[in-house]
Amino acid sequence: MGIEIILKIAGIGILIAVVNQVLKYTGKEELTTFTTLAGVAIVLLMVLDLVSELFSSVSSLFNLY
Amino acid sequence: MEILVKIIGIAIITTVAVLIIKQLKPELAVVVGLAGSIIIVIIIVNMLGSVFNIFDGIVERTGVDKELFVVVLKIIGIGYLTEFSANLCLDAGVNSMADKIMLAGKVVIMLMALPIINNLLEIVYGLMV
Repeated sequence: MGIEIILKIAGIGILIAVVNQVLKYTGKEELTTFTTLAGVAIVLLMVLDLVSELFSSVSSLFNLY
Repeated sequence: MEILVKIIGIAIITTVAVLIIKQLKPELAVVVGLAGSIIIVIIIVNMLGSVFNIFDGIVERTGVDKELFVVVLKIIGIGYLTEFSANLCLDAGVNSMADKIMLAGKVVIMLMALPIINNLLEIVYGLMV
């Protein structure tokens, strides 16, 4: 439970930006949308288990379930 | 005390990460903010656990029936979750979604509070008759 998840997501964001730049210079402009989509999908999957952990801990604390 | 320092550290790192990512990939900035706030909330929720155990003890001693306290806890939980997600949508700039979440939260809280209101009214009628 620390900042590694945040830095991981930021790293993926920067990686996508770099990949898009490279694709732009090599002329493969149309691939950038797919790399962006792939990156966002990966990040959302990572955040998904965080959200589920949040909801389980909050609902167990306030016995909302 | 050191938990507070940890939370402040996480918050600062998240803020910096969000600002950096906002230039490169605006849509990812929202997710970074979401991840950071979730981590902080989980830490806080773990801290709150012991507080509510103490409250349970107090409520039992006061003789108030446990059902009311459970409902109050639920309403606090719902209120907090609603506020958390509404702020998240505000950060992302989608104000209309934040208002919808707030409205939904209010309606759910209202539905949960109805039984208590009924009890209260019955007690009042009992007194007046």
